[in-house]
Amino acid sequence: MTTRELNRRIKASIEEGADEIVIKNPSARHNIAVGVRRPCKITIEGSVGYYAASQLDGPEISIEGNAGWALGENLMSGKITLSKSAGASVAASMRGGEIFIGGNAGARAGISMKGGTLLIAGDSGFLTGFMMQKGRIIVCGDIGDAAGDSMYEGTIYVGGMVDSLGTDAKYEESTEDELIELWAELERNGVAGRPRFRKIVSQKKLYHYDTLERLERTLI
Amino acid sequence: MVYGNNQIWSQWTVDDIHAKADLGRYRIRGMSTHQRVTHFDDLTFLSTGLTRFPLEGYKEQCSTRVELGGLNAENPLVIETPIYITGMSWGALSANAKIALGKAASMVGTASCTGDGGMLPAEREASDKLIYQVLPSRYGANPNHMATAQAIEIVVGQGAKPGTGGLLMGVKVLDEIAESRDLPPGIDQRSPARHPDWLGPDDLAIKIEQLREATDWQVPIHVKLGACRVSDDVKLAAKAGADAIVIDSMVAGTGASAEILLDHSGIPTVPAIVLAREALREIGLYRKVSLIASGGIRNGADVAKALALGADAVAIGIAALIALNCNRDIPESDFEKEIGLPAGQCNRCHTGRCPVGIATQDPELVKRLDPDEGAERVANFLNSMTMELALLTRSLGKGDVKSLEPEDLAALTIEASVMARVPLVGTDKVFGT
Repeated sequence: MTTRELNRRIKASIEEGADEIVIKNPSARHNIAVGVRRPCKITIEGSVGYYAASQLDGPEISIEGNAGWALGENLMSGKITLSKSAGASVAASMRGGEIFIGGNAGARAGISMKGGTLLIAGDSGFLTGFMMQKGRIIVCGDIGDAAGDSMYEGTIYVGGMVDSLGTDAKYEESTEDELIELWAELERNGVAGRPRFRKIVSQKKLYHYDTLERLERTLI
Repeated sequence: MVYGNNQIWSQWTVDDIHAKADLGRYRIRGMSTHQRVTHFDDLTFLSTGLTRFPLEGYKEQCSTRVELGGLNAENPLVIETPIYITGMSWGALSANAKIALGKAASMVGTASCTGDGGMLPAEREASDKLIYQVLPSRYGANPNHMATAQAIEIVVGQGAKPGTGGLLMGVKVLDEIAESRDLPPGIDQRSPARHPDWLGPDDLAIKIEQLREATDWQVPIHVKLGACRVSDDVKLAAKAGADAIVIDSMVAGTGASAEILLDHSGIPTVPAIVLAREALREIGLYRKVSLIASGGIRNGADVAKALALGADAVAIGIAALIALNCNRDIPESDFEKEIGLPAGQCNRCHTGRCPVGIATQDPELVKRLDPDEGAERVANFLNSMTMELALLTRSLGKGDVKSLEPEDLAALTIEASVMARVPLVGTDKVFGT
């Protein structure tokens, strides 16, 4: 079965009212379960390639294995659960919903994120939360270099160590209320432990150009 | 030769240094490059004589319809004129301007395109054929919107400022625009230059497959490139599976860019088309992967020359805005007072103070553009260009714009001969070959 046939079959099954769809032997193929825009349940038994469960609005997708780049890219709503580790750019430009990574995540986790929650039980890589705009990234383990580089808004919570902060990012302490909420989130996803999460947020120093031209000063 | 003015330290250069000494940063403006480059005016058509005969210029049929992106899509983009409205964001432009452009496109059976701010629902409603851009920023990106589009365009680069992302000054990032882009209101928005989910051409191939799956293989996937390393980029985009390639040259427009990028990056439209054509020919995909040219298209002759050089269609931006009244004194405007420059010289799109309601989000200024009247003017302009294109085509003895070819052209300068790969007038020599 080609990827095109597989995705057509998934969409047709949803149209026909299937309660749950199970995909066996995905062979780490790219672009599995792309563009599903209705609430439904899909289980993928095995590892997936790039762009698995991307461009979604509404589904609940469970993947038993690892994933390549850009898992859950542009998720609007719904939930994606990955039992093992994700490659680079997980949750890229995600706008809503939840993504849970049971293992580690690669570089650029939550890049350009615009909403929703990305929860990583393990570590995440270089440029986590790069140019993040809104939403929450929760990393229970460590983060690589340039965490939160050029982020606008949103929050990165980190339970472990951070190799370095990115441009315009800063640390803040989490409040007790935030910690209680985060621990509840971990419990809901079956993650043991109660890390004392630190927050990474924007310094907001890159929001504006410092100066205007003479003519612009009279106009703006 | 001794000139009256200093070539190196011109008045503009002196003013530029003074401005930067005040500012402490690069300068920003809209419109397009100030560089003097070889353009379509440096080419002329060799119309008919005794070797071939013309069609009746005003009467006989001449087809202007083109089909774009038919390689893989179930439903290629079919437009009645090979001219469509390029991507310009709701944010850079007012909602009224976007609606007017969409309506105008529908009136003449062509397409309009979204831009770096997602899809404005009112533009979707106005435009029968909407091209949905997928940009590095992904502002407002929504698979539900994408599913309604007639074509998808992955933007790798923009001709006016290749190698960097969009720019929207805070004065235009008002609440509604900020919300649609998920940004804090009032920030000077500097969009990403790289896509968040893919980097190189091998990744792009997977991204293209993803967008096909997301749209059920129904619509073409375009790839837009800023014209720089055209030959390699076009081959890589075609190999990655693009149905159409948009080559956007250094003379293309923008609502805001660092001036240094406008004037000092990219290559002009004429060589960009020729390099793209030859690249596609080399890999056996010329006329299979559609080629769309943009940058400095002003009239039907520019369109005809672009097509003769090898493009299947062109996209226009600034010309459509001028048709909407950009740089025109209208009764409600006072250019000198409101923008500090006379009508005809304005390139202050980035200030958000557009006196004619196009490049602004100020509710009072926006009212100066009536979308219906604006649509009428743009539709008239598109029709005028299409008639000019058909007139030239018939004068060459051809009944279909798709029959235009390099042999129809001659170059007026040696540079144009080299870049367009057509003979210099008065010779049978193609320079540089």
